[in-house]
This record gives sequence, structure tokens and C-alpha cells, in this order.
Amino acid sequence: MENQYAIEMLNITKRFPGIIANDNITLQLRKGEIHALLGENGAGKSTLMSVLFGLYQPEEGTIKKDGKVVSIKNPNDATALGIGMVHQHFKLVECFTVLDNIILGVEPTKGGFLQKDEARKKVLALSERYGLQIDPDAKIEDITVGMQQRTEILKMLYRDNEILIFDEPTAVLTPQEIDELMQIMRNLAAEGKSILFISHKLAEIMAVADRCSVLRKGKYIGTVDTKDTTVEALSAMMVGRDVNFHVEKADKTPGDVVLKVEGMTVASKVHKNNAVKNVSFEVRAGEIVCIAGIDGNGQTETVYGLTGLEPLVSGKITLCGKDITRAPIRERSLTGMSHIPEDRHKHGLVLDYTLEDNIVLQRYFEPEFTRHGLLQRKNIRAYAERLIEDYDIRSGQGPVTTARSMSGGNQQKAIVAREIDKAPQLLVAVQPTRGLDVGAIENIHKQIVAQRDAGKAVLLVSLEMDEVMDVSDRILVMYEGEIVGELDPKATTAEEMGLYMAGAKRKEM
Amino acid sequence: MDTKKRTPFFRIPAVQTLIASLLCILLGLIVGYIALLLINPTGAWGAITSIVKNFWNYPNLNQQLRYLGNTLVKTAPLLMCSLSVLFAYKVGLFNIGAAGQYVAGAGAALYCALSLHLPWYVCMIAAAVAGALLGCISGLLKAYRNVNEVISCIMLNWIGLYTVNSILSSVKDPTSPYTLGLANTNPGAIMPSLGINKLFTNNRYTTLAIPLAILIAVLVWLVLSKTRLGYELKATGMNKNAAKYAGMREKYNIILTMGIAGALAGLGAAMFYLSGYEQWSVTQSSVPAMGFNGIAAAFLGGLHPIGTIFSSFFIQQITDGGGYVDMTMYSSDISDFISSLIIYLCGFVLFFRQFMNSRLNRRDELKLKGGDR
Amino acid sequence: MLLLIQYMLIFASVLLLVALGGCFAEHSGVINIGLEGIMVAGALGGALMMKYLPADSSAAAVVCLSILAAMLCGIIYSLLLAVSAINFKADQTLVGTAMNLLAVAAATVFVKAINTAENPNNVSATIQYVNAKKAFLVNIGGFEFNWFMLLAVILLICANVLLYRTKFGLRLMACGEHPQAADSVGINVYKMRYAGVMLSGLLGGIGGLVYITAGVSEWKFENGVAGFGFLALAVMIFGQWKPTRIALAALLFGLFRSLSNVYTGFPFLANLNLPSNVYNMLPYIISLIVLALTSKRSAAPKAEGIPYDKGSR
Repeated sequence: MENQYAIEMLNITKRFPGIIANDNITLQLRKGEIHALLGENGAGKSTLMSVLFGLYQPEEGTIKKDGKVVSIKNPNDATALGIGMVHQHFKLVECFTVLDNIILGVEPTKGGFLQKDEARKKVLALSERYGLQIDPDAKIEDITVGMQQRTEILKMLYRDNEILIFDEPTAVLTPQEIDELMQIMRNLAAEGKSILFISHKLAEIMAVADRCSVLRKGKYIGTVDTKDTTVEALSAMMVGRDVNFHVEKADKTPGDVVLKVEGMTVASKVHKNNAVKNVSFEVRAGEIVCIAGIDGNGQTETVYGLTGLEPLVSGKITLCGKDITRAPIRERSLTGMSHIPEDRHKHGLVLDYTLEDNIVLQRYFEPEFTRHGLLQRKNIRAYAERLIEDYDIRSGQGPVTTARSMSGGNQQKAIVAREIDKAPQLLVAVQPTRGLDVGAIENIHKQIVAQRDAGKAVLLVSLEMDEVMDVSDRILVMYEGEIVGELDPKATTAEEMGLYMAGAKRKEM
Repeated sequence: MDTKKRTPFFRIPAVQTLIASLLCILLGLIVGYIALLLINPTGAWGAITSIVKNFWNYPNLNQQLRYLGNTLVKTAPLLMCSLSVLFAYKVGLFNIGAAGQYVAGAGAALYCALSLHLPWYVCMIAAAVAGALLGCISGLLKAYRNVNEVISCIMLNWIGLYTVNSILSSVKDPTSPYTLGLANTNPGAIMPSLGINKLFTNNRYTTLAIPLAILIAVLVWLVLSKTRLGYELKATGMNKNAAKYAGMREKYNIILTMGIAGALAGLGAAMFYLSGYEQWSVTQSSVPAMGFNGIAAAFLGGLHPIGTIFSSFFIQQITDGGGYVDMTMYSSDISDFISSLIIYLCGFVLFFRQFMNSRLNRRDELKLKGGDR
Repeated sequence: MLLLIQYMLIFASVLLLVALGGCFAEHSGVINIGLEGIMVAGALGGALMMKYLPADSSAAAVVCLSILAAMLCGIIYSLLLAVSAINFKADQTLVGTAMNLLAVAAATVFVKAINTAENPNNVSATIQYVNAKKAFLVNIGGFEFNWFMLLAVILLICANVLLYRTKFGLRLMACGEHPQAADSVGINVYKMRYAGVMLSGLLGGIGGLVYITAGVSEWKFENGVAGFGFLALAVMIFGQWKPTRIALAALLFGLFRSLSNVYTGFPFLANLNLPSNVYNMLPYIISLIVLALTSKRSAAPKAEGIPYDKGSR
């Protein structure tokens, strides 16, 4: 009988000091199918893919291609076997053209000189055949995320890859672009390519995949045909219990306006246009306002403008009745703003400082911690110990642990503790649960709701649809730097919100 | 896990740094010795030992002490330069401009002493201010114009050198390219000795500068580890984005740091030229090596202010020791060769520490495995 | 006037060559602060070749062999940077600085040793190459044409073609911009970075040789190259890492540098009665101003100065 599998990973086990990242995992990809790999963050998906690409060598298990055992020692071996991957973070050189990026590594040359015309013809033929619209001579930094992704797909096709891996490909796309991508994936499968689709979005898996393998905490849970299963069943397989995604919270009437933003415009660091265009909104005491939208539609810059990390081009910001438009960051903080930043390693922590030094990062200058220019180490220690206790921050050596050596969840807990304990009037929380496991997410959601119940204003920026719907009292949708809609989470649906996020629908604000 | 567990001896950062530094010295000396062997094998061992021995090359104690004094006179400014480099490096800036700030300090100190006839302490302040100004220019360019501080510092080194040459031409000895002697022109500008010279067989160049430099090293250590300023500066150096997020004034801190670093180097120059040990040559066409040697001392000292006290002495010891090699076979520049080798080797310290830790980890893992069975 | 152009062109050649060297290193992702040291190493190699070639060698042989020696010394010396920065992830600024100091010290020790061996009373750090140097010069009606000017133009064209028209150039720039992307398509980032650094050694080495032959007198090795390597870095930044723009920047800087050699020949400048120190300072002041004006919007390779670690993706 002819072998029906394009690639097989059999009984793969990969250990790291202290954890088993992959525990006896089997994954079989049939020829011409779309196979989803489902699991939460930390379930072992990326380790498994690293094994497939030869970045890690497994302790146990074998890999077969077309039924024959193969050995993959490095990414070049994987490429030689026709395995290609679209990474979650694109591997594209920003200042190169689309064409240069596609041919990089497999450049056609004659006498040492690049033959780009030949390559251009092949790329255009491929883009026609699979319906992948691109402009070969545009620079990556000037094109949309969707086109960047198509460039990545063309990179694989240009190399005649037979096995295509998509790592969380929809995270950065609008719903329309997602639909397009799904169609592209179906075309590719129809042409005989085998596709592995890594995701934790159940609806997408149900829509496009033929089969789905589920991982949980490094273990292989099972493989199911998508036509024989339901979203609920998949979810249970992924999480291991029926999860109640809903966040408990009582109704509350908002109080006075705490934050008022009028006509805020912020320049972009990436392109020449403004990233935030003439945005106005309010946040009241005792309410959670959520800014929703696809990544890269101006949310980050909105927060930068609000918190003072970037200057405004124009507009006015009022916090607790005080004009803070031009106030330095420290003054905003003292006026009552707390900020849980989007990137905890870039902004949130000094990784080589100890936990206690990070805990006082926003307050080290207060008389309690500094007297006559000298740090009051004893008080800093006592304060850190109290927060570690109250917020259940776990670390190897307590207050003197280096922040770098802590787990992501506990790093985030430390930041949340620091920002909340400062008793702010306004809490700005940007993707506070990114990359955390379910338990940590619940914990942080509880903290945010508690702030609201205590009469504080909360501005939440989130890319996760579920988080937006469950936690917020009011939703503002951003699209291309503008607020295109205000929704009530109780009265709207994910579909309606999706239309706003994609720019297909907008309200005059 | 036990939270109060004691760190194993070889894992203590200070121990690792010390081992790494000693290894750098050893390797530097070995390569230097090989170079000497290649040039002329017969006198190589004698040459390398006389470099390391420096003042011990003299037979009697009184002479030894006198020449130890000479070395210390030059160790003080070197220590100041290395503190300057170290201070800037803690904030993530590479102050290769210590050399130029040193030049500016020398110019200001000597001009105030010889032309304006001011007392030594005013000359010192002037030197610190001049160094700080030069440092601030680099800081300003970095903070507001995103100019790489290494390149701007190098440019300022040369600009400083030519400017100081021009200015000091006005207080030049008419018969030589050197500036006038302090002792004859303005004895009040010479730093007081406070009896320190008695310790070094009445070496008249040993002054207050030596204990002062050590005191400043301790001060720098206190500022970096115990104060709010140190907390802010180190945070800026480790993660400037986080520092900005926490409301620290990043640009101000960069300028302040370069200013302080410049003042330290400038002060170092005053400590040297106000001892009367040497005059400034207004025709010199290269920047004095003191500032560059400061880089060696800073890194060799494990970037710790107390460590630099010892490393500065060592670097100066071999620099002076170069004067005792047999000149018919070798040149005294062999010491510069060794100290620049040591700087180069310091680049490997981080890797060395990682290597050491990974070896320790593997050993611990093996131990654990053994314990299981 | 002719003299001014002559000096401008020769200094511009030095700056162009060395800046192109810096440009290759930075495009591969390594900041080469050690260009000064590489220049000294190249100069030493070239000068020794000139010294030891038999006096009756043909001009062509002198030119070719001394350039070859300079290139070779430059490349070998640049390996000090490559090994530490690429394999051992050392601080590139620290290592570069050490290389600058090391080259001057090593060259001085070496040259003095040679001189002392020949004549125990000779403790100078100069190499005799006055006669051999003439091989590089062609006198065209009072204008001393130096073969290096032609060489600089040829290498400029080569650099441009190599960077923008070949597979090597594309891969090199990918390593400086986004090494992870280059790695993911099977390019060996370490090898490419070695290539970039060694190219900068090659060009910097020639630049050093040109530098010592540019002056009227013989070169003292203990003086190093007076910040020329850093001026070349300023030229490179001003030229926004693009060979043709670097060439223009080099001409501009060459003009200011040559003023200090020839200003006395211009009645207008001589009448200003400025001290010579002002002219000596001029190139450095200009470069500071230029840097202040251009660094803000720099087109520096994005991954320069960051050691590449295969593990952290």
C-alpha cells in the first residue's frame, strides 16, 4: 500500500532541565490535507516544531518522510526535505523588496551576478497560480501585513516546499484577510501541498482544517476529524476541563470622568502617516473601557500618547481634571495613572534588577524609599515582601531574585502588583494576559475587575476577542488609527465587532 | 527550594570576575613574553620580570619606596580615568573620551595655575569643570542628536588636544616645547603633600592626590550602589526603555552621566599635572595614553570601583615597568602592548563567566543524577 | 590649487577605502571600531614589503606586492575582531578600542625592534621606504598622481557591484538587517559576518598603506593614524552606508583634511592668520557637525552591534 503520510513524527520526547516539553507526542500529516495543531501557550507546539526543523534533537522518537526515517540535524536538512514554515513573527528583511526576500538563500545567479528577471517571472507565475497577490518590487516596510504574509508563503512555494507549516498565521490579520488566507490554504491543499496549521483559535480550525491534533502541557491528547467534532469538544481537549471563560462581575454605574482624551493624534514610528488620528474618548470611574482591534491599528501608539512615552502631534488629555497633555511621564504617574505595559521585557521590568528593585520602580523616589538621596533598603525590602505575599508572586529567592530568572507569569504578576498597589485613579492595562496560562489569566482578570469595583477607571487594550467581550463594560474599536465604533459588550456579538475591526462598518463618533 | 541557600564559592560574581581578571593578566603577560621571545630570546625573561617588578628593580628599600611613589603619582590619575570609564559604562555609555576629558582637565588646570596664578584647589575645580563640559558635549549629542558617543568622543579627543595645545602655548617655556614649571611659577598651585611624601622617601610628587583618588573611588561605589541617583543611572544603563517608562529622565541622565564622567577624568588630569611631576608639551600630536589605559583598568577591575583601585595600580605598574627593559633589545612600548592585550582579553570576560556557569551547571546536574541512583 | 586637489584626492582615497571597509562590516552586522588598528596593521605590512623588496624591483611589482601585503595584514588583524565579536559575543566597542591601541603598540614594538637590531643606536619607529614610495607616484604636469587614487575608484565600483548586484551582497545585508531571517533560509550568519569583517580588514589595510604614503615625510608608527579610522566611520555614517554617497562624503572630508597641509599656499587663508591648530582641528569639528545633523535619521543596519546567537530566535 502506498504511504499516505507526508511527514510523521512518532513518539517524540524532548526534555529540558526541570520540564518535559514534549512527552511521547505523535503527529501524522497526510498528503494534501490541512492538519491543525491545537494547544495553549506552553503546550509544547513550538518545541515540537523546533524538533521538526532540527533546532532541537529529541531524546526519543523518530521522524519519517514519505514512510522513510529521516534525520533532521538543522534547518537546512528540513528545507532539503521540502518543509517550509511561515513563522508567527515574519522572517522578512524590512528594507529589502518582496522579490529579494523571496529569493534570499536560493538566488538564481549567472557568473556570480543576480538574475532577478528570471526570479521575477517565476514568482509572478506562482502568485497567479495560487492567487497570492503581491508587488515584487515593493519594500517590505511599505506593504500591509497581509502582503507580508503572502510573501512568506511565496518564499515556501518558490523553494518547491511540499510541507507547509503555518504558525499562528491569523493573529495579525483582519477577518477579511483571514478569509483570504483560508482560501489560499485550501488552494494549496488542492494542489497537493500538505499543510500543518498551528493555532489556538477553535473557529478557524473548524473552518479550514481536515483533522486536528491536540497537545496539552507537553502531552499528546488525541487527533480528531473536524467534521466529527465540535468547538466545545475541542476546547475541552485543549484545556482539560470545561472552562468558564466568563468573568464574574456585578453591574455598576460609572461615576465621574477620570480620563478625557480630545482629538489625540500621535505620529507613527514605522511609517510617515500618523498612527493615531484625532481620537477622542472618556473613561469614567468604576468602568472598564476596552480598546479592541487588530494588532497594529494604532492601539500601541494610543497608549504611548496617553502615558507620555510618545509626544502628541495634537490633542488634549485630561486626567482627574488636570491637563496632562504635555506632562512628563513621572507627573502623569503621580497624578494617578498606572500603566501595565504591552511588552514587559521592553518596558515593564529591568530584567537584571532584583525583584524588589523592580517592585519599587515607580515609587523609589518617594520619602519612604529614598531619604536624602539614599535608598532605604530596609523599607524597600519590607514593601517588596508585602507585595510578594499579597499578590502571590513566586520566585526562587524572594525579593532578591533577579527578575530575568522568573517565569513570565510571575513577572507579569509583579508588574500588576506594582501598578495596582500604587492606588491609581486610572489603570491602563495593555494586553495584560499575553502569553500567560489560564490560571494566571483568571487571576489578572480578577484584579482588574476588583479595581473597577473599587471605583477606579480602567482602560484595557486587548487583541483577544474573548477578553474584550468578557471583561469590559464598554468597547471602543480602533481601525487604522481611528475609533470606528463604540459597542456595549452585552448587546453586541463577536461577528459585529469583527466587522468594525476590519473597517467594514463604522459609526460616526 | 531553600530561599536562604548560600551561593557556592565559584558562583559568587565577584569571585568569577576576579578569576577572569587574573586570567586576563596571565594571558596578557604570556603573550607579551612570547613577543619578547620572538624579538630576542636571550633577554626575554629578564625583560618580562623587570616589567612586572617595576620599582622592585631597585636594590634598596628607600629607592624602592621613592619609585613606588612615582608609580602611585601616576596611578591616581589613571584611577580617575578608569572611574570615568566605569561610571559611564554603568549607564550603557562607552566613554572613550576619558582621554580627551583628561586633556581638557590638564589644559584648564595648567592655565589656571600658570597664567592666572590661582591656588591648587581652584585649578582642580577648573579641571573638573573643563572635563565635565567636554563630556557634556558628547552627552548632548547622544541624547538629542543620536550621535554614537564613541565617535563623538574620539573627535572631541582631537579637538581637545589641539585646543589645549593652543591655549597652553601662552604659558610655554620659551626655550622648550613644555609649559613652565609649577614650582618656579606658582608653588601655590602644587597640591599639598600632607606628609605623604615622608612615606615615600621624601618623593616630592606624592601628594594628597593619591588618597583623594581612592576616596573618590569609594564615593563612586557608594553613589552607584546606595543612592537614588545610582539606582536611576543603572536602570537607564540596563534598560533605557524601562527607565523611560518609570518616568526617569533618560536624556538628562545621559548628559549628567557624561558630565560626571568628564569631571572625574578632568580631576585626574589635575591630580597629575598639579603634582609638578611632568609638564605639558604643546607640540604633542597624540592624545596622552592615560585615558585609554583607564579603559583597561576599568574592565580589568571587573567594572567595580573598588576593583579598579587595584587594577589601576597594576596597569600603571607594568606601564612604568616598561621603562626597565633592556633598551638595547626592546622598547618600553612593550608595556602598552601588554595592557592593550589585556583590554582585548577583557572582551572575553562575559563569555568566560557564562562558560564557567555552564560548567558548574553541568557538574551540579551530574551530581543530582548521581544522587538519584 | 593643484596641490590642494592632490592632497584632497589622496586623503579622500584613504577615507573612502576605510569607510567602505566599515560599510562592509556594518552591513554584515558588526560595528568595526577597530578600523584604526586595521589601518596600522595594513600600513605596517605595506611598509615592510616596500622596505624589504630589492631596490631594483620594477614599479609595478612594488605597487602590487605592497598592496597585497597591506591587504593580507589587514585581513589577519581583522580576525581579532571577527573571532571575539562573532564567536565569543564580546563587546564590539571594547574589542575595537583594544585593537586600536594594540596595533599601535605592537607596530611600535616591532618596528623599533627591527631598527634596533639593524643599528643599536636607532630607536625610532619609522621604516625607510622613501625610494620605494616613488613607485606609486606619476607626475603629470606638476600634479602628483598616485596610483591609489585609481585603486580607490576601482574598489568603489567593485564594492557597489558586490553589494547590490551579487548573491553575496544580498546575503551580507540580510545578516546585518535581520540575521534570524537569513538563518531561517539557510544562510550561515557567522560565515557572512566573518566575510564582512575580513573585507573591512582588506579595505582598511589598503587604506592604512595609502595613509602612510600620503604624507611627505616617513611615518612614525607610534603616532597611529590620528583618528582617521574614526573620521572614516563618520564618512560612512554621513554616506548613509551607501558606497556612492560615501565617496562624495569622503571627497568633502578629504578637502577639509587637506587644508591643514596647504593653507599657507592660499593668500586668502594665510591672511586670516589662524593658528595651525585650527586647521588641524577642522576635519574633526566638521565631522561632529555632520554627525549631529545626520545621525538622527540614520539608515544603519538594524542588527549591527548585536551578537547573533543561534539559540535565541
